[in-house]
Amino acid sequence: MIEILALALTIILVIISAAYAQKFGIGKEISLAGTRALVQIMILASIILILFEKPLFWSFLVLIAMAAIAGNTTYSRSGKLDRVLSVSIISIAAASLLLLIPFFLMGIFPLEARYIVPTGSILIGNAMNVSSLAIDRYKGEIKNRRSEVEAYLALGAKPELAAAACLRQGILSALIPSIDNMKNLGIVWIPGVMTGMLLGGADPMEAASIQIAIFTSIFAAGMIASSLMLHYSTDSFFTKAAQLREDLE
Amino acid sequence: MNHLELKKVSKAVFRKVNDTRARTQILSSLDLQVNKGELVTIMGASGSGKSTLLRLINRLSETDSGIILLNGNDIKSHVPMELRRKIGMVFQIPVVFKGSVRDNLVFGIKLWEGNTGIEALSRDTGIPEELLDADASQLSIGEKQRVCIARALAIQPEILLLDEPTSSLDALAAEKVEKLLLGLQKERDMTILWVTHEKEQAARIGGRRLILRDGRLEDYHD
Repeated sequence: MIEILALALTIILVIISAAYAQKFGIGKEISLAGTRALVQIMILASIILILFEKPLFWSFLVLIAMAAIAGNTTYSRSGKLDRVLSVSIISIAAASLLLLIPFFLMGIFPLEARYIVPTGSILIGNAMNVSSLAIDRYKGEIKNRRSEVEAYLALGAKPELAAAACLRQGILSALIPSIDNMKNLGIVWIPGVMTGMLLGGADPMEAASIQIAIFTSIFAAGMIASSLMLHYSTDSFFTKAAQLREDLE
Repeated sequence: MNHLELKKVSKAVFRKVNDTRARTQILSSLDLQVNKGELVTIMGASGSGKSTLLRLINRLSETDSGIILLNGNDIKSHVPMELRRKIGMVFQIPVVFKGSVRDNLVFGIKLWEGNTGIEALSRDTGIPEELLDADASQLSIGEKQRVCIARALAIQPEILLLDEPTSSLDALAAEKVEKLLLGLQKERDMTILWVTHEKEQAARIGGRRLILRDGRLEDYHD
């Protein structure tokens, strides 16, 4: 009964928002985006429902598929540089898995699809966001600081050393939103996991503890994924003769 | 054997014209021989390929065809980083690294485990000792160019490529840098390729004067 009411509320809100947004000429986009979100989330719910009945292997397979899609999104953000597709998929998958394991190893969550898939997807999604921001900024820094990078190369520095300051700036810029979110956690906003648990009737202390554990894991996964990604994608900006590529768009 | 030799070197670059990238041939079968300790000035109009020519010699850019020999060996047979240690370069617009003047000078020495003395180097390049611990980004453009020259000399290159090193300086600072470089060239018997677009400067510098025209180098006579 609750799900029918929630879906009905969603449909009403999409219709009202789209009607109002028509004034700004974006009514069609709002209705399309709202419908798409509704359909996607219902498909996801159905997949999770199916996963409950399947062996755990399937849950990890779904997470790998998510990491592949996330990696492809980050790859597109890089301007489709050589090698960046595989580097971004592996970085996002490795960082997310690394931060997912402790939740089950320490017994915070039971090893079930119900916990593996949502927790993994939060980690993957955030690692993707941070990595996309990081590669975008890294590329921008290298392009804007071409003279500085080439001044390092002209002294005989290897590309990793020549681009080190750009890499640091890329990671720092990508992490600023996460750092700001962490600073304001619980003051400006109650994050999703805690909200969901409270709505589901959980004890506030339990909800807060799990939330902060997930939040710090999200931060760490983003930091590790973006660091790995930028580090291993540095060669893509240079030729084999350690020249800064001239065709960076 | 020539210290540096370029044989039939060609290079095209892509330039943005009306939002499209147009291929422009700037060096065509260019030849050049430079002896050890020689000073060569290269003149040419803007966009004639003077900077590109220097970038090919230390492999910051790649030739399309032809061969460049350092002490008789193809530069492509060198590890690019080691080649750039042997062929130093000073750019038109000075770029200092983050940190103090000393950090800038020490960078190459640490990288190549060299033994160049910072105090002697700063004295030779006219950097006052009290500036060594100053923030390099706060220096005047003339001082920054001195730091870049000192930084390039710190790794003791065999050849020094100078890409219009005084063009961004005022007349007084330019004259000082000019004198400094000529003094260092004589003192260290260093091979120098000096790109300039000013005929007057080329005449002041002396050495062998060449002009880059239609992608090739020709002797220049007043």
